[in-house]
Amino acid sequence: MSVVLAVRDVVKAFGAVRAVDGVSFSVRRGTITGLLGRNGAGKTTTIRMITGIFLPDSGVIEWVGGEGGGDARDRIGYLPEERGLYKQMKVVEHLQFLAEIKGRRGAGVVKSIDGWLDRFELAEKKNAKVEELSKGNQQKVQLIGTLLHDPELIILDEPQSGLDPVNMVLVRNLLRELKEEGRTILLSTHMMGEAERMADDIVLVHEGKVVLDGSLEQVRQSVGKNTLHIEYEGSGDFLRDLPDVTRASIVNNAAELSLSDGADPQKILQASIGRLRIRKFEVAAPSLEEIFIEKVGQETLEAAR
Amino acid sequence: MNKMLAVLKREYLAAVRKKMFIVMTILFPVLMSAAMLLPGLMVARGLGEKQVAVLDGTGQLQSAFTRTIAPELPDVKKSLRGGRRGELPQSIKVEYTAEAADSKPYLDRLNANRKASNRLDAVFVIPKDAIDGENAKMSFYSRSSTDVITQERLSSIANRAIQRLRLSARGIDPNTVDALTRSVPSEGIQLSRSGEQKRGGEFNLIFSILFAVLLLIPSFIYGLEIMRGIVQEKNDRVVEVLVSSMTPRQLLSGKILGVALVGLTQVTAWMLMLGLVGVFGGAVAASAGINLAQFLRAEVFVYFYLFFILAYLTYVSIYAIAGAVCNSEKEAQQLIAPVSMLMMLPWFVMVLIVTNPDSGLVIALSVAPVWGPLTMFVRTSVSEPPFLQILISIAVSIATILAFFWITAKIFRIGILSYGKRPTMSELWQWLKVA
Repeated sequence: MSVVLAVRDVVKAFGAVRAVDGVSFSVRRGTITGLLGRNGAGKTTTIRMITGIFLPDSGVIEWVGGEGGGDARDRIGYLPEERGLYKQMKVVEHLQFLAEIKGRRGAGVVKSIDGWLDRFELAEKKNAKVEELSKGNQQKVQLIGTLLHDPELIILDEPQSGLDPVNMVLVRNLLRELKEEGRTILLSTHMMGEAERMADDIVLVHEGKVVLDGSLEQVRQSVGKNTLHIEYEGSGDFLRDLPDVTRASIVNNAAELSLSDGADPQKILQASIGRLRIRKFEVAAPSLEEIFIEKVGQETLEAAR
Repeated sequence: MNKMLAVLKREYLAAVRKKMFIVMTILFPVLMSAAMLLPGLMVARGLGEKQVAVLDGTGQLQSAFTRTIAPELPDVKKSLRGGRRGELPQSIKVEYTAEAADSKPYLDRLNANRKASNRLDAVFVIPKDAIDGENAKMSFYSRSSTDVITQERLSSIANRAIQRLRLSARGIDPNTVDALTRSVPSEGIQLSRSGEQKRGGEFNLIFSILFAVLLLIPSFIYGLEIMRGIVQEKNDRVVEVLVSSMTPRQLLSGKILGVALVGLTQVTAWMLMLGLVGVFGGAVAASAGINLAQFLRAEVFVYFYLFFILAYLTYVSIYAIAGAVCNSEKEAQQLIAPVSMLMMLPWFVMVLIVTNPDSGLVIALSVAPVWGPLTMFVRTSVSEPPFLQILISIAVSIATILAFFWITAKIFRIGILSYGKRPTMSELWQWLKVA
């Protein structure tokens, strides 16, 4: 699969703080790449360099095999984490403006706006002022503005922050549809579960550095550890003290156990029989959440809380 | 270019559709003409009549005080010659009493009930020895010690009457006195390089100030507007989409030129209104023997638009910088208040510029950055500065504007996305180097 965007050894410092410290990754055409990390890990700064807001101190951001020429900025559709629209403008005028600053104008744009408004059930709000819209609808308008100029690469920074569950599903479905249409998406999020559900590739950033990178499968295999999901009746506290269990999270008669390398899950099962009434016993690949914690370290995580 | 135009169009339409624009366009000329006409109107409506008791110890000045003292109607030419500048015309109603022994009952009436019909605004006491006494002094009593105008007028009326009495006592006929003490008016004539003589140069002062106001007001109003707009874009977080779609320079040019166009639209609307007034005003002036056309020459308008654009772009860029580095309107206004005072320097020394348009200091001001456009414009309208100086002034202004553009564009890149504390000067310097 061809690569659309390659980021190589990119560094950006603000004063003494190296917000992005030698980040490299690439985005494959027609995939969803999840840029993961905690708040302040350097995700937004990385994106701002890709979108040309900041110039990197060093390193290269390269478009590979893009279609057509023109301003690289016009090939990106960017939904910033900090969202905002001109409150006084009418929805349709605002969308036209957003298309114009991406170099699109004319009848095609108007038609496209109508199509998107229909798709998001906003057709009757076309001539309303932005400030008259609910917050969720304003987000939809901005999302339309991101997609209106038919971008080659769609960059979404925390697209689901501030959305209610219904709209979250809407965005999730939209991302899937966009992917099916063959578009390339870079999805920045701190919600691991969301990335796990959507992303083909993962780039895990921590303190300005990439700590893990590859396809979701590769990433899981690279961690190479078994995780047990057990549901049971009885008191499962002893599980955390069993040999080979490196980490346990036990909540409400359910346990998620990380096992050391080469451990046999069968032994855990044997140890449990007779002490617990097992309802579910599953050997699973580790979740992104677990991988993240593994990589970044439990302590830094707790310090952040 | 298209992106810049998109921003320009948005800024222009957003500003022109605002109520403030419409209100300003209509209200400003109304306010200006009101400021000029109001004093006259106040007299016509009988406002400002003063009740004054004159207690004449000499008993000989009745003829001077018997009539109601009519207000002096504002006379533009006269007031410009340095006469009674800023004097509000008001009529004075005099209650004359000869040989009043005791001023007490009159003074009591000064503080009488506001609605009392016999309430006095002032009491003017002329002593017995006013005509011959060496150290005689007249006294003016009023509730406000600041009613200088009424005091001045009563005193001058009394003095004139006393002088006439003194001279008649020496055997000179009062009418001869009037004839002998008549003052001769003077007239200012501007001699141009081509040898042309222009009368009524006092009007230049009015036009200079009027145009200076027309030049300053939109700059400051729309400067504030662009500053607020940028701060608001930061607060509304609109700006990130903008700077990810175009260069800071495109964004800034679009914004500033859009707002400049708003200012031009407004000024042109005012000019058209002024033109209408001018058609009538010209007829009035012509009847007074003054040819208005010689002051409202075509070149005045050319220079006005030229320096208006230069001044406007300079001021607006400064406001844009303030908007880019601040996070709230309040903060931005605190930052800009002292700066705008500094920018307005030529306005504060306007009298100096008008009276000494070719002095070294004024020449320096007129070719200085920021102050140049306003100063040079006023110079071109009251005298004929050398063409080279005008060119230098224009060149300096353009260089200043480009420098501000460059600085603002740099600061924009980082400043516009940094939320939180306002940057210090050293941080700003960092930004300039980094961006």
